[in-house]
Amino acid sequence: MTVPAHHPAPELLLDYAAGSLREVQSLLVAAHLAYCPDCRAQVAELEACGGVLLADLPPEPVSDTLFGTLMTRLGETAAPSSPVAAPAGRSVFPGPLRRAIGAEPEALEWVRVVPGVHLSAWAVSAGTASACLLRMASGARVPAHRHTDSEMLLVMKGGFSDEFGAYRVGDVASYETHTPHHAVADADGECLCLLVQDRPLVFTGPLGWLLNRGFRF
Amino acid sequence: MLPKADSNDPTMPDHEQLLLAVARNRDSTAFRALFDHFAPRIKAYMRRLGADSSAAEELVQDVMMAVWLRADRFDPALASASTWIYTIARNRRIDRVRQERRPELQPDDLMSEGGEEPTPDHQFEAAETAFRLRAVIGNLPPEQADVLRLAYYEDKVHAEISAERGIPLGTVKTRLRLALVRLRRAFGEGA
Ligand SMILES: [Zn+2]
Repeated sequence: MTVPAHHPAPELLLDYAAGSLREVQSLLVAAHLAYCPDCRAQVAELEACGGVLLADLPPEPVSDTLFGTLMTRLGETAAPSSPVAAPAGRSVFPGPLRRAIGAEPEALEWVRVVPGVHLSAWAVSAGTASACLLRMASGARVPAHRHTDSEMLLVMKGGFSDEFGAYRVGDVASYETHTPHHAVADADGECLCLLVQDRPLVFTGPLGWLLNRGFRF
Repeated sequence: MLPKADSNDPTMPDHEQLLLAVARNRDSTAFRALFDHFAPRIKAYMRRLGADSSAAEELVQDVMMAVWLRADRFDPALASASTWIYTIARNRRIDRVRQERRPELQPDDLMSEGGEEPTPDHQFEAAETAFRLRAVIGNLPPEQADVLRLAYYEDKVHAEISAERGIPLGTVKTRLRLALVRLRRAFGEGA
């Protein structure tokens, strides 16, 4: 496997390391980190920045009794058992996503959008953002759509191309608001992506009226 | 009380040494010293992020409990003591205050073959990098330092910083990216 060529925006890595990024977007960033040594290094640096900022905060005195209370609580707490080992066998999902979904793609329900393009019934949302999975058969074409907010795709299997580039496993494609794009899955196999979007999208193609009724995409 | 094996290493900074003493010997004197240093800073961090005084002290207890219980997972080659404690504090706040789960990468999650993770030159490199980083942060132009601190201390993603300060999103991104370039230099120098 090669190193990813398309990364989340640097601000997203900062928001992730700072803890201000919301859960849905954090899921995509954490999943990308599983593939990307560069972004892992950047997040580690930004966490070091958090460490410096923490160390430099003007201290606020704590109650005199706090340490005693803490030691009493610790006396009553057993040492944590070592973390449960990851299930054996390779998953198509990177760890953070595997833990969020709890099933492999074959075990999920899928909703057909157009021939060859499916969305998972599994979805998470928080605030205005939501995430689900997108599956494209080899050579399948996702209908043109424009965005009322941002959209990101993380490739986990196969690959796809659009007018902005070609995306392989581990890559993140980011689309700003109001960017129409036409994704086509690579011809040599199925493409599986994590799709994160921040608002319902509006389809522009001939099928748009139908898709806008039935599907948030 | 402090581990003898490392006391001849002049580059080994205090807090890292204290954490190792907690991990190896369950050293409660070392733990008390860590508490005295970090508890008031963790409290300040939680207060900045909107916790009231008693909620902040609850969170201080949570974080320091985790420090005691998980000290054996601290690796001074990978993170300084304050970085390691910062990540625990950040995650506790997300759990408890925002009531969201924090999607985290775990060590065996890596999808690429082989451990291509760069290995630090020596055990306490992370703490030395933190010294350089502190200088870089201190010398950031005020508008860059401002957007950086908002991200860490006010639970604001860059789009919210833009809205709240009435600064165009593009400007916020530019300031953040300039700040990030400068921060990266602090790490580059160590390589
Ligand atoms: Zn990356």
